[in-house]
Amino acid sequence: MRAVGMILAGGNSYRMKELSNKRAIAAMPIAGSFRGIDFALSSMSNSNIQKVAVLTQYNSRSLNEHLSSSKWWDFGRKQGGLFVFPPMVTSDNDFWYRGTADAIHQNLDFLRQCHEPYVVIASGDGVYKLDYAKVLEYHIARKADITVVCKDLPSTEDATRFGLIRMNEESRIVQFDEKPMAASSHTVSCGIYVIRRRQLIELIEKSIEEGRHDFVKDVLIRYKDVKRIFGYKIKDYWSNIASVESYYQTNMDFLKKEVRDYFFRQYPDVHSKVDDNPPAKYNPGSKVKNSLIANGSIINGYVENSVIFKKVFVGDGCVIKNSIVLDDVYLGDNVYLENCIVESRDTLRANSRYVGEDGIRIVIESNERYVL
Amino acid sequence: MVKKEMIAMLLAGGQGSRLGVLTSKVAKPAVAFGGKYRIIDFPLSNCINSGIDTVGVLTQYQPLRLNTHIGIGIPWDLDRNVGGVTVLPPYEKVGKAEWYTGTANAIYQNLAYMESFNPEYVLILSGDHIYKMDYEVMLDYHKAHKADVSIAVMPVPQEEASRFGIVVTNENGRILEFQEKPEHPKSNLASMGIYIFSWKVLKEALLTLKDQRNCDFGKHVIPYCHEKGQTLVAYEYNGYWKDVGTLGSYWEANMELIDIIPEFNLYEEFWKIYTKNDILPPQYVAEDSVVERCLVGDGSEIYGEVYNSVIGCGVVIEKGAVVRDSILMQNVVIREGAVVERGIIAENSVIGARTQLGIGEERPNRVKPSVYAFGLAVVGEDTVIPPDVRIGKNTAVTGKTLPEDYPDGVLESGETLDKAGDVQ
Repeated sequence: MRAVGMILAGGNSYRMKELSNKRAIAAMPIAGSFRGIDFALSSMSNSNIQKVAVLTQYNSRSLNEHLSSSKWWDFGRKQGGLFVFPPMVTSDNDFWYRGTADAIHQNLDFLRQCHEPYVVIASGDGVYKLDYAKVLEYHIARKADITVVCKDLPSTEDATRFGLIRMNEESRIVQFDEKPMAASSHTVSCGIYVIRRRQLIELIEKSIEEGRHDFVKDVLIRYKDVKRIFGYKIKDYWSNIASVESYYQTNMDFLKKEVRDYFFRQYPDVHSKVDDNPPAKYNPGSKVKNSLIANGSIINGYVENSVIFKKVFVGDGCVIKNSIVLDDVYLGDNVYLENCIVESRDTLRANSRYVGEDGIRIVIESNERYVL
Repeated sequence: MVKKEMIAMLLAGGQGSRLGVLTSKVAKPAVAFGGKYRIIDFPLSNCINSGIDTVGVLTQYQPLRLNTHIGIGIPWDLDRNVGGVTVLPPYEKVGKAEWYTGTANAIYQNLAYMESFNPEYVLILSGDHIYKMDYEVMLDYHKAHKADVSIAVMPVPQEEASRFGIVVTNENGRILEFQEKPEHPKSNLASMGIYIFSWKVLKEALLTLKDQRNCDFGKHVIPYCHEKGQTLVAYEYNGYWKDVGTLGSYWEANMELIDIIPEFNLYEEFWKIYTKNDILPPQYVAEDSVVERCLVGDGSEIYGEVYNSVIGCGVVIEKGAVVRDSILMQNVVIREGAVVERGIIAENSVIGARTQLGIGEERPNRVKPSVYAFGLAVVGEDTVIPPDVRIGKNTAVTGKTLPEDYPDGVLESGETLDKAGDVQ
């Protein structure tokens, strides 16, 4: 592959509420056995990108743990590898990453030393499968300076938390509004860009010189009429998980057969770090309807329309409806859950009741766990 | 210089013919077990959990699945710069080519491999038992008793002792006598086929017995060491240990995993069992399905009903299908309305819609009554069973079968339908 990958995974969003207290968005567990960043990493690996840099900043411990070995995504070759770059104090820099452009700037040496002519920039909060080689082909065919991957949202969905794009008939981007108050379009930027490496270095150097630190505002939007910036539309599933509602909805999407088939049964596969858990176990009295259950879980109670992550224990008489229970949660007997997201490693006491009355309730309990 | 205190040699070349069509294309250690594992995962995990990072795996019979499963040992952390896991197939030598003719002969042919690690001790294991055991504790016992050979033994009920190789010990654990399947057992300690040898003793014995035909540990090497007056001790093991050599015991061992708190617990944090994960996604259980008393592997999709069963990874059980008391291995598909009772269905097989498997009266199998017994219906890997047929008990089916292979749509109990040429 003629591109190097860069994943901007340092961000946080107030829209994630308490869920981001524990981890960066890129490390959010998804669909029972995956993490947010797996989709970008797997797409890169499956597109034969061999060298990937992950830029981290906010709350990165959980993410680092997930990326502790590059073998799960088949990186770690003699040519290339998986690199994790947190901000770093050097003789000529003592700032955190002040923005996405600054984050790239602080790692410009990495880009300078690459030999690949192109860079694929992605974020860690998208759930999708994408052949970046096709995007690159498109980019070259259009003689583009920058290609922005975008997606048409249904008009019912609120698009104002995204960058909104308007393209002309030859797919050149003519308008780009970053998180506007009112939606001007329903084509949103997926935060995935293809750009020539030398072009990127040049643009970033110039922006930083001018004291501008944001890739979208200070590069994409600023250069919109000067550079040839094109849009590439994703036709298949794409979803962003950077708010509690969309995180919940994305997980629930995996209860649909077509979404599962697309991600789990069609080529290529999504890869993730492997936990050595035993198969899931269903004890007498368990009843499960329309739910995903991940490995290592033991189910005794009733589960409906829910996603149960790895190593979850569901006690006798529990009722779980329309909820997401993250990894390694212990539910005592007769717990009632409805419209909830239960934070990982929680222990919920027997006979407790949690209901999201209007919207999704995030349950965080740090009770002592007594298990043999 | 390379030096390892103890290395393990894992005998994984056997066919396991009593598992019938399950082992027609794979060696017994590569047979699936417990939803996502293969039998060899247990001794391999025991090795790494015991701190043994150098394991030679001796293969001979149908090694492809075993080789791809083991790879370079990543799942067990056995990908090492020095040591790690090495697959050791038989090989051609100057002037002659020879298969592994017996357990000890196989080890003898790999003296050079063992020598390269300068070990003090060599652990001999077989790849066909389900158990968790700390070999380091056994090594401590070996050292404390200044033994030349330690044999792991476990107490069996006195009335069953005549089915095993029995060792008779004195009060210090020193072995006085061996009895192979004795009529009148003098003790109830059965050998588990797990040995620790001091390296010099093993090397000397193997070199002395190198011309012995079908040289075997139980029959030749151990008796030789005993006669030579070396210190043989018995290391008593009291945990769960299951030989899964027959279809009956294989089925039973799988079923025992489903108990609420099984004697052999895979869910303990301590002493994890590792395996190669091919399939990652979670499993999906649909609206109108029933899953009760089951183990279900990753990526399976269940739309029908499953009771008392061990389901592997990537299995699909369609709407209206009913699976009871069965073992389904990876990527099996049970089509709409099919019924499976006491079935063992190997990898990638498809059971047609409304087909019934494992029904009717029990009758002994006509071809291999001792193998296809226990009232089980066994389906080999990559088998296709057409829709709307009925298959009885104590049966075996392999290959891509067609409706005309079933006269009147029935395969009676005790019959064998072999379209893959798997049943010898």
